[in-house]
Amino acid sequence: MRYHQAWVVALGALLAAAPAAAEPGVTDTEILIGGSNSFSGPLAFTGEQITKGGVELYLRVVNDAGGIHGRKVRTLWYDDAYRPQDAVANTKKLVEQDKVFAIIIPQGSPPVVATLDYLEEQKVPLLFPYQSSPVTRGKRWIFQGMTVSDRSSKMMIDYLAGRRKFKKFAALYQDDEYGKSFLTAFEKDLGRHGLKLGAAESVKRGVTDVSAQVAKLQATKPDVTFLVLVPGPAAQALKERQKIGWSDTLMVSTGPLTDERYLALAGEAAEGVEGLSLWPDPATSDRPGVKLYREHMQKYAPRNEPNRYSMAGYFAGMLFAEAAKRAGTNLTRESLIAALEGIKGWESGILPPLTIGPDHETQKQGFWVRVEKGRFKPVTDWLKGE
Amino acid sequence: MTTAVLVHVVVSGLATGSIYALVAISLVIIYNATRTLNFAQGEMLMISTFVGFTAYQRLRLPLVVVLLVAVVAAAALGWAIERLIIRHAISATHFDVLILTLGVSLVLRAGAGLVWTHDEFPFPALFANRPVALGPVRVAPVSLGIIGASLALMLALYVFFAKTRLGRAMRAVAQNQRAARLMGISVERVYSASWMLAAVVGAVAGILIAPVIFLSSKMGLVAINGFIAAVLGGFGSMPGAVVGGMLLGVLENLAPLYLPSGIKYSVPFLLLIAILLVRPGGVVGRTVRRKV
Repeated sequence: MRYHQAWVVALGALLAAAPAAAEPGVTDTEILIGGSNSFSGPLAFTGEQITKGGVELYLRVVNDAGGIHGRKVRTLWYDDAYRPQDAVANTKKLVEQDKVFAIIIPQGSPPVVATLDYLEEQKVPLLFPYQSSPVTRGKRWIFQGMTVSDRSSKMMIDYLAGRRKFKKFAALYQDDEYGKSFLTAFEKDLGRHGLKLGAAESVKRGVTDVSAQVAKLQATKPDVTFLVLVPGPAAQALKERQKIGWSDTLMVSTGPLTDERYLALAGEAAEGVEGLSLWPDPATSDRPGVKLYREHMQKYAPRNEPNRYSMAGYFAGMLFAEAAKRAGTNLTRESLIAALEGIKGWESGILPPLTIGPDHETQKQGFWVRVEKGRFKPVTDWLKGE
Repeated sequence: MTTAVLVHVVVSGLATGSIYALVAISLVIIYNATRTLNFAQGEMLMISTFVGFTAYQRLRLPLVVVLLVAVVAAAALGWAIERLIIRHAISATHFDVLILTLGVSLVLRAGAGLVWTHDEFPFPALFANRPVALGPVRVAPVSLGIIGASLALMLALYVFFAKTRLGRAMRAVAQNQRAARLMGISVERVYSASWMLAAVVGAVAGILIAPVIFLSSKMGLVAINGFIAAVLGGFGSMPGAVVGGMLLGVLENLAPLYLPSGIKYSVPFLLLIAILLVRPGGVVGRTVRRKV
């Protein structure tokens, strides 16, 4: 009888311990997360910053403070150079060979989209992809990072057509998923205001000259010209506008574009440009979380400079750590998902209080900025993206 | 479209075209001397521009001095690549050397990423951006400056090839290596000189275009259109390279003015196919008829 009881107890203990031990990427002392990202190719700078400059920055803070329930978080990155096929291969390697617990902050719509079905099928959490297409919506294992294009569009159009009463709109957009998802959303939201997009011209990444596209847009005399581009071509478009002395249109940048690199490249040609900012100014904002971010950067990576990419990564690291902490000592993929879904009114000190609903979106807002003397000056408070 | 718009777009195209032409010329210089297609031309251009940029950042040198720094760096880089790598493959097939230059281009790009990161940098411009009125039309000084500087360099190259001993030696090697050697020309020296000269032309193109397309490890991609320009003009012909470059730059700009803007990116290739169908030797080049 005694023996029998002992066996039951032992068996019970074994059963209780087994799932925890079997959870990929989680041991008693460590959590392994990682991702495929751009460390070469067109988005290499951003990739480097969101991962090593951002996620790792926050995790060093966490690890130095003893980790999450005694577990240190380790990261593992592979380079996909913005190529979807490489992103798929890297992601499979991370899941099957390296056995990561979760994928964090992969970048760019095409590479991320290519891995969505696989990760859903394998039931691996995909955390905060750094891309703006809404295709990530409605998936159980995916929590979107950057504010998606339809929410951005709603904030931009409601503000410009509703509050500012602009009537004629045009867009210069990048010829890919990023550009097209914004274009579709603009058309829909302008339709709600009884307006439409008057003209749209496409630009490819790595373009040498945008004079023809800008000339065609100018001929349609829009009040507002949206720039749905990446920093290089967008800055070229602003310089082109200066070249032809086109001053009677308001140039407006989308959320993914409104960043410091774009400003630096465009120089004085950016003065007076407006846009939707998804992040508070990383270098000057006095929000407590942003100040802390700068302090941590000063301490751990003094050679890096504050920028919204590393801040986005830092925020992603913070949100992961928060969810993993809430998931408790018995950390599983299921419990992480449950913890993320349970986040309500969470104060990061960087963005407004966050409630992650069933839509699995972790960033839904932005605010309006205008470029004055080479910096983004806030014009509005946080706008509503719901 | 109004005439003013048309003039602006054409001038803008000529400016980009000048850069394509310079890259095409540098490709032709190396090709003529060594029969090698240099796939690293764009990356050599990028590295020398970065070196100039570093000098500008650290020492706040005036832009003319920055240009000189870039030119000297380019010459050194061109010399080193030829002397340390290409020279050792002198007996290899052209195809092998081509792959070798492709390898060099990848190494240079990765190396630039390590040293200067893959970020994009604003590059100080030699010429202003704001338009000036020129009679009835308004043009940007930056476009005119790029065209003017490129034409000046082309003229200098013409004088070099026509009047100097080294220039004539390079032409001689291009025509017939064996005969040139028999005439006492050091073919090896011509090889070195060609790589250095090509690198220098590339560096000037890099400094001129960097303010427009920004400085980054990927700016070497501009060399692809340089290749097309060289083929358009008839590979091997320098006047052809100039015509090919200008033609490409202008048409690339005019096409999206009248057609959907997405067409712009296929224009160089459509043009290439069309011209090669009609004139297989390029716009300027002569067709060598082979008797069967």
